[in-house]
Amino acid sequence: MSRGFNGLLNSVVRIDVRQVNYEGGSKRFDGSIGSGVILSEDGLILTNAHVVSPKAVEVTVTLSSLENVGAKLVGWDHWTDLALLKLDMDEVKRRQLTFTHASFGDSSKLFAGNVVFAVGTPFGLTRTVTRGIISNTSQYFDAERNEDGYETGLFNTWLQTDAAINPGNSGGPLVTEDGKVVGITTRGYTGANNLGFAIPSNTAKAVVKSLLEHGSIVRSTVGIVPGALQDLEDFYSLALNTGMLVNSVYPKSPAAISGIKAGDILLQIDHKAIDGRFPEQIPAILNSIAQQPVGTQLTLTIKRGVKLQDINVVTELLESSVGEERAFDTWGLSVRKISRIYAREHGRNDQNGVIVIGVQPGFPADVAGIQPGNIITAINRAVITSLDVVAHAHDAFTQKPEATLLEVEKDRHVSFVILKP
Amino acid sequence: MKSTFFLKFFLLSIALRSFTFGTSLPDMWAERVKSVVAIDYVTETEDERRMSTAYGVAIDTEGTIILPSAAVDVRIDPKRLRRFKAYIPGEAVGSDATYLGQDPYTGWHYIKVSKVMATQLLPISKWIAPKGTKELELSDFVWGLGLRNKEEDFIPYLMQSHIAIIESLPQHTAIAQQEVAGPGLPVFNKDGYFVGLATSSFAQTYLQFSKADRTGSPLMLVDVEESSAFLLSTEVIPSLSRRPENVNGRPLAWFGAYGLEALDREAASFLGLSNQSSVVVSEVLEDSPAEKAGMKAHDIIVALDSVMLPRFRPDHVAIDFVERKVLIHRPGDVINMTVLRGAKRIELSITLGDEPKLIREAERKYFERLGLTVREFVYADAVERRSSVKSHNGVIVSYIKSNSPVDGAGLSGEDWIKEIDGASVDSFADAVAKLSAAESDLHRKEFVLLVSRGTQTAVLRVKLH
Repeated sequence: MSRGFNGLLNSVVRIDVRQVNYEGGSKRFDGSIGSGVILSEDGLILTNAHVVSPKAVEVTVTLSSLENVGAKLVGWDHWTDLALLKLDMDEVKRRQLTFTHASFGDSSKLFAGNVVFAVGTPFGLTRTVTRGIISNTSQYFDAERNEDGYETGLFNTWLQTDAAINPGNSGGPLVTEDGKVVGITTRGYTGANNLGFAIPSNTAKAVVKSLLEHGSIVRSTVGIVPGALQDLEDFYSLALNTGMLVNSVYPKSPAAISGIKAGDILLQIDHKAIDGRFPEQIPAILNSIAQQPVGTQLTLTIKRGVKLQDINVVTELLESSVGEERAFDTWGLSVRKISRIYAREHGRNDQNGVIVIGVQPGFPADVAGIQPGNIITAINRAVITSLDVVAHAHDAFTQKPEATLLEVEKDRHVSFVILKP
Repeated sequence: MKSTFFLKFFLLSIALRSFTFGTSLPDMWAERVKSVVAIDYVTETEDERRMSTAYGVAIDTEGTIILPSAAVDVRIDPKRLRRFKAYIPGEAVGSDATYLGQDPYTGWHYIKVSKVMATQLLPISKWIAPKGTKELELSDFVWGLGLRNKEEDFIPYLMQSHIAIIESLPQHTAIAQQEVAGPGLPVFNKDGYFVGLATSSFAQTYLQFSKADRTGSPLMLVDVEESSAFLLSTEVIPSLSRRPENVNGRPLAWFGAYGLEALDREAASFLGLSNQSSVVVSEVLEDSPAEKAGMKAHDIIVALDSVMLPRFRPDHVAIDFVERKVLIHRPGDVINMTVLRGAKRIELSITLGDEPKLIREAERKYFERLGLTVREFVYADAVERRSSVKSHNGVIVSYIKSNSPVDGAGLSGEDWIKEIDGASVDSFADAVAKLSAAESDLHRKEFVLLVSRGTQTAVLRVKLH
């Protein structure tokens, strides 16, 4: 193999994560294993957001020398499933550990049939190299949610490869023969053979830059759910490769407020023509909106029926629907706050309340009949406007256990239940 | 002597003819069988015809029959209920009958049988006990009728038991030690007086064992042919004069609270409501009488017309109690509700309305070539979709034929069609006109729907041919 490839091997790490898990009705810790690639001399490591998230409390990196070093999360982006870590460089220096770092290749130059290698820790098998080809340079997935409910997708397409990808490969690099990182391995299909997917390096480069600068990715959104125009051009009297379909508009979003409607055709953004004929083309269009600073006024040229019109829309910050999580151990109850986006997506009038994500058997919440998925809207008749309202009642209960009244919504039916000491 | 003897014999025979009470059980049974009929009918949908059977009781000499509420699925449009037939128990051939609708208060469905059959029936009122007769008590002997299935010509048979418990659920209901009558069929005491009407049976828990599962898993089973529970005659007799005014059971008194939930015992005691039942209002519907009267979501109903809700077991019976108290009224009547809101008790005076058009009453149309049925968008659709009840545009997809053009386009049942070919659907008639045009135009290659599903919408292209 090339010298570059051998250097790359020394930059691939195994990542062991201990993270908080609220789902059992209490604050617990569980462990998982993933892969990563060192990007710089100062110990930056790129991995997947589903490997290391803000829930991680302890991250241990195993270097190619088999030495373990601690690392911290610099920032994450669940939309592209990428997370950036930094090695504990004091420890590295103190112990005089060494490592090499990889560099990015240009993922836009890849072609179907291009030979690639995946390096990682499948099923905990450290530094495993598998070989394959690029099967598709821009595979498209509809927007999805990961195991924790976080949105993923929308802003990028995926590299598809037949190099063997297994659980634990996540976060490891997909490289060309010269050892350049062209993708970050993200997922495979369980039960399928040789269907692996990676985030293209060109997407990763931009994410890394922003995470380094801001610790997070700030994206703009207008609240449009796009659709491919494929085969609908005749119906809308459009030339091919013109415009993108507005499939849905989130209620109360900037687009909805400005009067954009489902069934409109978006022809231009700031007078620049767009082409959303195929699903594969849509992530780039959404990304062009996402990259605008939040609060930018965009002129969207819309075709509705035979009429063309320019509609000004001010972008807002793209947020996840997943709210903050917390566990209330005395009650055996863990919850997630209703976020602005969750309220919007579920047609709720306000953001009050918390969603139950776990109950511990035999604890007061379980005894009261509370189940995951229920929504608690009030506690001792106080409306839950924040997690602190719950925390306040929980602290009081922990200090001096007294019957506590909860108002619980199950499938739009409200019950009043008592948490008993 | 001889004449006296004759006179006595004559009196006795009169007594036998009009008061055949307290004679032998087989004799009483044979007579009371004439008060019951078996009914079957067909529910017709786009692609199937489903046969159902039910048992009923004659309530007059005109051939009016009542069936228990579970005999007919109330979500189904009465227009889809066809080919009602009534059978005299033990006779193979039935005769045509007519469905008259459901009484909202009792839940009974009313059927009219033919004039000829009416003459063969004895109304249940024949067996009503005279005033002053001792009320039914624990351990009393009771007996009732069961009917075998259609293959056996609905042969009548006898069931007997003793009273085990009498409870308010919220109606006075007796539960016998074992099954005592088919659901909808009458129950009598030892003297042959009518003491109640069997309801649907209660679920009983059994353990199910199998080779794989030797520990046994609990299984709830409901006997649909025989029941041990019956509504006491004191609940039934006053309602025998009720008749639905039309097949939809209109008018339907309505106050517009959504999701009534009984307050659980511990929460009740926390709120100082220990000696009574109470009911939580989950949501107050837009534009409803409750909203106009100032009712709010999470209000707790504690009293009706200044009378505290009685304490019921189990808790959920209180919901039925409140609903029945409303349903006995007519639209326009005023009902006063006392609600607990926070620490305050608030009196609400609610002028009941007529319930907005129900889904079962919505107009429907099937388009065979396109492969869908659409139905009118009604109030309940807006409620279900958390949408304003004032935006009554569009239609709801109520049926999709598999492998049809709309199926291929990804349309689903309960989708809300808002636009057809880019033009908004203003009404049911508008949707029918647009879809009829697509259905009948054999040269047409496609049409486009904008549908709403949850909080999202989607543009769907339906390819024809």
